[in-house]
Amino acid sequence: MSAWISSHLLTFLVFAPLFWGLIVIAFPERLAPLARLLALLGSTGVFFIALIHLLRASPEYGALFDERIPWFTIVGLPVDYHLAADGLNLWLVLLTTFLTPLTLFGTWNSITKRAGTAAALFLLLEAGMLGALLAQDLLLFYLFWEAMLLPMYFLIGVWGGEDRKYAANKFILYTLAGSLLWLVALLYVASKAGSFAPPLMAQAVQTLPDKVQKTLFLAFALAFAVKIPLFPLHTWLPDAHTEAPTAGSVILAGVLLKLGTYGFIRFAIPMFPSAFIHYAQALAILSVIAIIYGALVAMVQWDIKKLVAYSSVSHMGFVMLGISSMTVIGTQGAMLQMLNHGISTGALFLLVGMLYDRAHTRMIADFGGVASKMPIFTTFFLIVTLSSIGLPLTNGFVGEFLILNGTYIAGFAWGRMIAILATLGIVLGAVYLLWMVKRVFWGPVNTDEDSGTAHLHEDLNAREIAVLVPIVVMIFWMGLHPQTFLASSQAPVEQLLKEAKAPAPRMSVMQVQGVKP
Amino acid sequence: MVEHAISSSAHSSLLWLIPFLPAFGALFNGLTGRSLKSNKIVDWIALGSVGLAFLLSVYLLLLLLGRDPVNRIVVQDLWVWMDLGSARVLGGIAANPLSWGYRFDALSGAMALLVTGVGFLIHVFSTGYMAEERKNGQYYRFMAYLNLFVFSMLNLVLGSNIVMMFLGWEGVGLCSYLLIGFYFDQETAASAGKKAFVTNRIGDFGFMLGFFLLFMLYGSVDFDTLMGMTRGLLARPEIALFGITHSPTWWFNLVGCCLFVGACGKSAQIPLYVWLPDAMAGPTPVSALIHAATMVTSGLYMICRMSFVYANAPLALDVVLFVGALTAVVAASMGLAQYDIKKVLAYSTISQLGFMFMGMGAGAFSAGMFHVFTHAFFKAALFLGSGSVIMACHHEQDLRNLGGLRRHLPWTFWSMLLATLAIAGIFPFSGFFSKDEILWKVFEGWWVEGHPLNLMAWSMGMAGAFMTAFYMTRLMVMTFWGDYRGAGHDPYGLRKPAENQLDHADAHSHSPREVGGNMWLPVAILAGLAVIAGFWNVPSSLGGSSRFSAWLDPLLFRLHPLAAHASVSWMEYALMVFSVFWALGAGALAWTIYGRDPTWSRAKTFVQRFPNLFRWVHNKYFVDEFYEAALIGPCKRLGEMLFTFDGRIVDGAVNGVARVLLVASELLRWVDVHIVDGLVNFVAWTLQQVSLGFKTLQSGRVQNYAYVMFLGFLLFAFWRFLA
Repeated sequence: MSAWISSHLLTFLVFAPLFWGLIVIAFPERLAPLARLLALLGSTGVFFIALIHLLRASPEYGALFDERIPWFTIVGLPVDYHLAADGLNLWLVLLTTFLTPLTLFGTWNSITKRAGTAAALFLLLEAGMLGALLAQDLLLFYLFWEAMLLPMYFLIGVWGGEDRKYAANKFILYTLAGSLLWLVALLYVASKAGSFAPPLMAQAVQTLPDKVQKTLFLAFALAFAVKIPLFPLHTWLPDAHTEAPTAGSVILAGVLLKLGTYGFIRFAIPMFPSAFIHYAQALAILSVIAIIYGALVAMVQWDIKKLVAYSSVSHMGFVMLGISSMTVIGTQGAMLQMLNHGISTGALFLLVGMLYDRAHTRMIADFGGVASKMPIFTTFFLIVTLSSIGLPLTNGFVGEFLILNGTYIAGFAWGRMIAILATLGIVLGAVYLLWMVKRVFWGPVNTDEDSGTAHLHEDLNAREIAVLVPIVVMIFWMGLHPQTFLASSQAPVEQLLKEAKAPAPRMSVMQVQGVKP
Repeated sequence: MVEHAISSSAHSSLLWLIPFLPAFGALFNGLTGRSLKSNKIVDWIALGSVGLAFLLSVYLLLLLLGRDPVNRIVVQDLWVWMDLGSARVLGGIAANPLSWGYRFDALSGAMALLVTGVGFLIHVFSTGYMAEERKNGQYYRFMAYLNLFVFSMLNLVLGSNIVMMFLGWEGVGLCSYLLIGFYFDQETAASAGKKAFVTNRIGDFGFMLGFFLLFMLYGSVDFDTLMGMTRGLLARPEIALFGITHSPTWWFNLVGCCLFVGACGKSAQIPLYVWLPDAMAGPTPVSALIHAATMVTSGLYMICRMSFVYANAPLALDVVLFVGALTAVVAASMGLAQYDIKKVLAYSTISQLGFMFMGMGAGAFSAGMFHVFTHAFFKAALFLGSGSVIMACHHEQDLRNLGGLRRHLPWTFWSMLLATLAIAGIFPFSGFFSKDEILWKVFEGWWVEGHPLNLMAWSMGMAGAFMTAFYMTRLMVMTFWGDYRGAGHDPYGLRKPAENQLDHADAHSHSPREVGGNMWLPVAILAGLAVIAGFWNVPSSLGGSSRFSAWLDPLLFRLHPLAAHASVSWMEYALMVFSVFWALGAGALAWTIYGRDPTWSRAKTFVQRFPNLFRWVHNKYFVDEFYEAALIGPCKRLGEMLFTFDGRIVDGAVNGVARVLLVASELLRWVDVHIVDGLVNFVAWTLQQVSLGFKTLQSGRVQNYAYVMFLGFLLFAFWRFLA
């Protein structure tokens, strides 16, 4: 068995949660606790197997693991079952496998009805996310991309808050609408290339006229931008986050959003280098708008969860800004910021969930003086908040620092404005988060007996602390020694940008230089 | 000289311990303090770690002292923090990884000594001042925060590159936030903490702009590299960044101004000073350590560290000079009209920081730095002394409710008196040497080089110095002279008007007692330092050898080439004498108003005659209110607007599309029902009609069947017959 896993690690990573999830989903309602336990154990096992195998491999160059089998042919186009782990997705895969068991454990008692089914859906979701992260064949990626929507749709639609139907529909329709054009573009390029393999498709794109390239790129970008979500396509996110159960929010923020930025790095840039360079500035401007806009809107929220959701918009803006800077520093910063956001914002949602489980409200005005009632919880919340603000020593700072550094040296025509406004985002981040912390945690205890604070009777229990400690350790580890997480993507990112910036070999030297014969 | 200093560096494996010892203390106390039975262990860890760090700093400083002035540097790189490799910047391709490293040289070493030394004394003071917290289990938290602060501050001063400095810079901001808000269940403390953090972040915005620009100019953030490359960069005819081309000086000015915004935030200069008075909501040792002696001076330290930028940025220096002078006088004026003993000292701190910036702005980096040191001693002594007063009088901070404490708190009184003489600039106390040096350098800029701005700044500085002596005398007189007004004894009606019946001062009517030795001893030591510190930098005109300036000299870039100013030194003497009498005059004025006249009638008359002036000054010229109206309000409104935009426009569009789709599907349903289904129904209807016809055949009567059968037989027979 273990020999098989070593040689088919990636297949194992994708299908183990899938099969495990299918087993767990078959459990009857009365065995829900057992089902939940099995889901937790299964996902924990997947995490450790992934950790052991992926970290043992040397993370220097090229793919660490590669599995490729011809799968089937559709309208004459061969589709490969091609999974690979390399420097670009290594840590995202680990993040996914890390967050899933942590989330299940952290929200152990949050879901009361049909808990076993919900846990099973998490495993299916994990399978979909891992598949999408590992897929190297574009059609395979597309299949996983759409497949992971379904578990999330049900998680929001069945276990969500009051307005869950609207949020779930909005979530799935937004994303589907975004990926519709992408599918068309994808099939078009595939038909030109005769394959769904990105390198071949990239070559085929090079032969197309400029305008067509740009249009195709925009179709790709639209799908990814919805997922990130980039301004102005972000409005599904606050609704989805607010309505989703805690665990759903954690995974949504922690991993799902990253698929959008990951899609840019993995597919959009290598396939359409010149179009990406052409639109880089526009994307950077949208990112900066997202940073400022998300922060300003977060400032005036009265629901803590919605505030965190809007902060997500702001933080993902940083990630996209780093990518669109087209510099190694910026892109590396974006790679790190993806992990940061997964850890910090995921943890924030977990913490808000813990508060909600006790107080049954998330309204900022219902709290005040929480620190006096729950000192341990406050400590954790403060650490995570500071990491989200980007305080040095924590992960947030390193990511934002690298991204801003990349933005400054990117050489956008509007570079000054973009760089200054993005830096301003850091100030606003402190404002909205600390203002919220002040109103919720500090000050005299809210003595109104209907208030949320009045319902807080016990501090975090051992289970919750056990969930949060690894997160805090990660926050400081990534802040103190980010090289652990950056080293593996350094070479792939350099390679990616070098190839993207290399002039397309379309015209001969004579034509370029305009030498007259 | 600077170029030589950077070329040689020796390694010492002990350096990292200086910041990491307090970090360990913070970690240990923070994690285990809650479960520890005895606070003794907390004390040992907290004080021991800072004390050891202090001893280590002394050891390393002695090591440096034994070396040649240009070799006084110890560097230690611990690990690669971030890899900035292959960034294409002006200086080529940046190849140096950003390391987590420390650098102990004349400047940072002296600062480290100050931070750990004064820090240790304040830790000792805290063991007494925070004694109440031992009972309710918050003591360990306070000590952990203090240690964390020392760690951050040491990162700030010892960091070997500007990002490490920024790490400490933000770290001290965080500790300030945590410590101001230490009594987090009080609304004012919580708000003040948040305000401090956010205001500092606004400053940090400028700081970040500055260091990104530096990174683009140099391709490095390492102080050694920066200092070494400066000359080469200045030699360029012009530098193009962001598509704009300017002379190197222009860029240095820009960098200098950006970094100075950061300094304004951290060191509470106009216009970002508003957080410091509010920060007094924190416990008094915090005010002494963070908001007087160390953290607020980091802006000065930064400018001194970046002297390679500022020495080449004349415009930025002018800005520093002007802002410093303005702050020195404005903050001092606000200090005149405060009743809260800590608020007076807070404004005094802002004003003194302004003096230091004036020194920097005049290009006298070492003079500014020297005032950082003397100020750390006398202001820490004053703050801790005021803490003792507050403690002895049962948390009474209002000057009007104190008085006559000279007899009750002799140690505190004498310590604070010495510190007051120092801050007022009386010869031969330390403040005289440091402040006079600054004012002289500023004046010299006008006297020798003819900058009118310097004359203006000098006049403002002199006005500030006058007010300093005035409000300090006022504070001392109101606190220590006269009769104690806290024991129900208030013949002249001077007490603060009671806001409610539960004013707790009435509950404690017994007379105040001197605080314990762990509290007055640190104050006395600091006061002693405030007396003697001036002799470390006696100017040559008074027969000294400016040892402190000479010590820093190899690290500092100079604004102007050295020129001999010996010929004008009569002016220097004249100013010295003048400023001492000037300060004595201010003190005498305050004494006349508050000391000689126990009813303070002149002060009262003045307030009655100019009620609005007093109101404006007392309320800090309503700057807070201005910010609220001009910045915070609009920001929130913008947020609200954008949120509405999100809901109405963006979501409106989304929901609109959804609605269009719904309407379309409704239409389709109609088509379905009436046309498609109609067609289907039509077919069905036809079939039904047809089948109806057939239905008549199926009558169920045997005769009919027999009849049909017979007919069929007939037809069959007929057909067969024809065939």
